[in-house]
Amino acid sequence: MMPISATLNSELTSDSFYSHALSRISRSMLVLACMFVPLSLMSHGWRIALGVALGSAIAYINFHWLKRIVHRFAERATETGSSPSGRRIVLLALLRYVLMASAAYAILNVSPASLYGLFAGLFLPVAAIACEAAYEAYVALARGI
Amino acid sequence: MRKLSTLFMVLSLVCFAVPAFAQGGEATGPVNWVAIAAGFSMAIASAVCGLAQGRATAAAAEALGRNPAARAGIQFALILGLVLIESLALYTLAIIFLKVK
Repeated sequence: MMPISATLNSELTSDSFYSHALSRISRSMLVLACMFVPLSLMSHGWRIALGVALGSAIAYINFHWLKRIVHRFAERATETGSSPSGRRIVLLALLRYVLMASAAYAILNVSPASLYGLFAGLFLPVAAIACEAAYEAYVALARGI
Repeated sequence: MRKLSTLFMVLSLVCFAVPAFAQGGEATGPVNWVAIAAGFSMAIASAVCGLAQGRATAAAAEALGRNPAARAGIQFALILGLVLIESLALYTLAIIFLKVK
């Protein structure tokens, strides 16, 4: 049987480990973008690489804004601190879609070939979440859970 | 909020109404079923993803109301859920662009 102090200690370390997951995902997105843009430049040319870079930037901003929206939403739901207005939260949520649609429209007008790169870049958060899942599985196995 | 939802409903009705009143022309060729199917699939994907995001947010709000101390975990799960649900709609859009080009 595990002593109480050891159980509490392991719970605290796992809490701190999981609380840093979002920052790890953000960092993974940056690292993956820095990997994919030169790779697509070498393999598919500058048009696709431009699309990937733009898509990665939009995905990163989108993820960051989503975190802010959820944070404000949680503040409003728990009513801690100065709860932000619901209208502002809805406007910020709509602004994300406006940003994505305007970037897709602009890139479609300038260079339709870059649109495939843009889509590839927009899937960056999914790749980052997959990396985080793999990392968490590795840590769980290393800890012997 | 009710005014905003009414505005969106009216706009969607107007979008449906305009093609309905268009004058029918002579048949010029075979019907492009891929484009029609793509439109329907995007509409279905958007609707289901919207419903899923709404349900996830409602469940998170309920969980936050019941247990405000678990805010960090609920926030993290909600962000991951919303990102993955949004990516499903993006998958559909990407497949449509690949098929209808």
